[in-house]
Amino acid sequence: MRDAKTLAERLRERGISRRGFMKFCAATASMMALPPLMIPRIAAALEQARRPSVIWLSFQECTGCTESLTRSHAPTVEGLIFDHISLDYHHTLQAAAGDAAEQAREAAMKENWGKYLLVVDGSIPLKDDGIYSTIAGQTNLAMLKAVAAGAAAIISVGTCAAFGGLPMANPNPTGAAPVSAIISDKPIVNVSGCPPIPIVITGVLAHFLTFGRLPELDTLGRPKVFFGNSIHDRCYRRAFYERGQFAETFDDEGARKGWCLFKLGCKGPITYNACATAKWNDGTSFPIEAGHGCIGCSEPSFWDKGGFYQALSKGTYGSAEGIALAAGVGAAVGVAAALGARSRQAEADSKEEK
Amino acid sequence: MTLLDIARGPALEWSLIIFAAGSLWRLVGALLVRRMTDLSEPRSHSTVAGGMRTVFTRMWPRREFYKQTLFGTVAGYAMHIGLAVVVFLFTPHILFIDSMFGISWPGISNNLVMFAGTVTVAALVALLIRRLTTPLLKMISSADDYISWVMTLLPVLTGMLAYAHLGGPYQTVLAVHILTVEAMLIWFPFGKLFHAVLWIPSRAQMGAAFQRRGVKA
Amino acid sequence: MSVDMETFKQFAQMLPHLGENAQVTQRSDAERVGSAKEQFLRKLDNRMAIELESCIHCGHCASACHFYTGTEDPKYVPIRKLDLLKRVYRREVSPLRWLHRLYTDDITVKDLQEWQELVYDSCTECGRCSMVCPMGINIASMVNVMRQGMARADLMPRELMGMEQEQGEHESLFGVGPEQMQGAIAKLQATGIDIPLNKDRADILVTTSVIDLILFTDGLIATAKVMNHLGVNWTLRSDGYEAANFGLLSGCERVQRKSSARLIAAAKACGARTVIIPECGHAYPSMRWEAANDHKQRLAFEVLSISEFLGRELKSGRLRLNKLGRQRKVTFHDPCKIARHSGVIDEPRWVLDALGVDFREVDSGKELNWCCGGGAGVFLINSASDLRQKAFQIKMGQVAKTGADSVVTACGSCRLNFLNGKMRAGWDKEVESLVEMVAEALPGN
Repeated sequence: MRDAKTLAERLRERGISRRGFMKFCAATASMMALPPLMIPRIAAALEQARRPSVIWLSFQECTGCTESLTRSHAPTVEGLIFDHISLDYHHTLQAAAGDAAEQAREAAMKENWGKYLLVVDGSIPLKDDGIYSTIAGQTNLAMLKAVAAGAAAIISVGTCAAFGGLPMANPNPTGAAPVSAIISDKPIVNVSGCPPIPIVITGVLAHFLTFGRLPELDTLGRPKVFFGNSIHDRCYRRAFYERGQFAETFDDEGARKGWCLFKLGCKGPITYNACATAKWNDGTSFPIEAGHGCIGCSEPSFWDKGGFYQALSKGTYGSAEGIALAAGVGAAVGVAAALGARSRQAEADSKEEK
Repeated sequence: MTLLDIARGPALEWSLIIFAAGSLWRLVGALLVRRMTDLSEPRSHSTVAGGMRTVFTRMWPRREFYKQTLFGTVAGYAMHIGLAVVVFLFTPHILFIDSMFGISWPGISNNLVMFAGTVTVAALVALLIRRLTTPLLKMISSADDYISWVMTLLPVLTGMLAYAHLGGPYQTVLAVHILTVEAMLIWFPFGKLFHAVLWIPSRAQMGAAFQRRGVKA
Repeated sequence: MSVDMETFKQFAQMLPHLGENAQVTQRSDAERVGSAKEQFLRKLDNRMAIELESCIHCGHCASACHFYTGTEDPKYVPIRKLDLLKRVYRREVSPLRWLHRLYTDDITVKDLQEWQELVYDSCTECGRCSMVCPMGINIASMVNVMRQGMARADLMPRELMGMEQEQGEHESLFGVGPEQMQGAIAKLQATGIDIPLNKDRADILVTTSVIDLILFTDGLIATAKVMNHLGVNWTLRSDGYEAANFGLLSGCERVQRKSSARLIAAAKACGARTVIIPECGHAYPSMRWEAANDHKQRLAFEVLSISEFLGRELKSGRLRLNKLGRQRKVTFHDPCKIARHSGVIDEPRWVLDALGVDFREVDSGKELNWCCGGGAGVFLINSASDLRQKAFQIKMGQVAKTGADSVVTACGSCRLNFLNGKMRAGWDKEVESLVEMVAEALPGN
């Protein structure tokens, strides 16, 4: 079952030149903001890397994350790296089904206990003992706990696994929770996004293969190298924001001129991801280039931050009725205060008459 | 729930509730303190016009008082105008107001807003230095003055930091900015910031009282 | 000329002894504080509430105050003079009182003692600070409430206490009661001046003041001359002649009411439709604005200050005057209580215009005029002597700038203060009375 070939050998087999491989290493180094000096080291590490065992668990998810990683139009180095890992369990991709699939997972766990990487996509329902999502009769919760116990590290792929995502959105009927809410004794990397950018996943893998450890993380557990800047920071429309030039509708003059989409609900300023630099569809573009604001999909509870088309500055301030009621109560207290003062003053008046 | 969610959700709601309730409490409570009927024969009956006139004439001190009032007045105006520009002409703020009251108007260039913010901060600092170094101002200053100063400065400063993406992750700074505005809203009814409401009735009634006696105040 | 400096100096020598007759009641500190607070409570109304709520501590009022400007001592910032009233307001009346009580100290006797100087010695209730306040706070009117609180606590300058007690108990001032008044009038009548005393029916009740009876008699004579010249049915009554109201000046409401009641009764007794207030600053607002409220009853007569009366008579054409000539370079000092507090601003100028003198307006005049520093009884307070003189420097500078040779005014208290300042500073300006100038210019005089 184990394939002893190194990545370099596999790449050459697939007709990827040394030059193309180095280019990938340079791109990875640059994405991860590593100095150029590191390129040969990445190359050397990747060339010598043996296939690590990876177990991929899909819970409450839509398969979009898998789609994002696999649906490349042409074979890419990222795709090949993905091929290079030993994906021992992935119920969407693997050929085996039913008990055979579960046996493969258990075998891989046993063989690589303590060394395999666990990739999770989808959130885990906790409500009612987690009965809302089961695989082979086992709840997601139980499976996660069992598999995580022998993992070297966990990569939570996609916003559902990283932060709860759509299943956790208000009112969260299944009591969905992210991996980090359940597992606390393993290193976890959150590769958020709905879906995440393919190179971000391979970048994390490359980092793990190169340095034997996970990359530096931000406060939300995301690799800093990919999530260090906001979309807004790197947005090519930023200049229009500075000048106060905003598209008011999707078909107005401003929209045609490519002005800032802030007023149309762009969440770029509070969203951290590499979209603006890594881009999508083989580097073609990212949503803002297509004329749509960022929806903030790599941030926790992005579903619940008001509408996608509601400007970021808008508050969720409760109801006008509540404030009117407060004003009424305030006025009533004011009246009471004044009446109290009047009676106190009347008392002073009566003392004078004596 | 992130800090930003708290700032934009429950904290905003509660600060507005306290702001509304406190403001009405103070205004109604002061207006309803007992009124004395003046039985003397008025020299002029156009007290409403006199009151309104004073509301406007007191916007600038008379030449005779320039020596001690000009600095405070100019710096005060710089601060107030700068603040008004920042609060009412910065596009995200307009959108915020729009989301609450359904009214909006065009904003101006963010660079101009930043300039106005800088002017506001500079004027606030100048006014504070003056307050701390002028014996007569030190004499009449209370904690209220300093708290109100901080409550005014912080939203401007944090807003500028958020805009410039300084001082931490944007959404944290933005959350802090919104929280400082909320702190200001909560303080508003209880400190001297409330002069933003009282200046009109206060000037008007004095103008009316002087008008009643035939004096243009 | 109006008054010679020798007579004035004799009068001035009497002043340091004014407080000697004051009867100070012995009361506990708690009682004093309690009485002061109750008085504040009685007087606080929604107008004061709004104003006390609105102060932004800008300190602009200092620029208007002659005591601050004259000394540059920060303790004299006008708004600070209201601190005790403000504290009682905050603790007892303010809508936020439950909050304010947490950090606002109650007032103590020590506070009252400290504030005595601030509301008596260093405030003439001139009201100039109200003209600069960007929030429109009427400080002077509240200083008077402060004085009322102090009066209830028996904490006022002895001089004012003595005067107030004399007026309240003996209906006299400087020992001049109704009897002495009649004697003084008899003396004037003996010189050939027709002064109708104690008429049963009169259209106009002319009032006077002890200062006019013992010092500025020319002012009283001038008034009589003008009245006679106009041929009006007027009288002076010994049961209600004293326009000065030391109840108002000292803050003692009881005496204030008693004093205004005498004038109201006298006017009623002779059926007067008009009461004329002599050249006495506070006496005018005392009758014009306070009296009706003192007695919770509208007045049945009109109250005019003598300068207001003269201006109106000139305007209506009933009074014509000779020109005194442009060689007389004069400026006019608007008494705070008559001009800024009461709106008598144009009338004295009509008079000066009719007199044909070289009239020079001061910078910052009319409703913005600088106080002479002696108003609201401050002239009589001995401990305020130096303070007053410092404030008077401003007045001297203001007058000097006009190039006038003399200062005309329409207030006995201002005149006294000018004479005193003149004496102390060796000032070369003359101090004149408006009504005396009018008498001088009467046709056929």
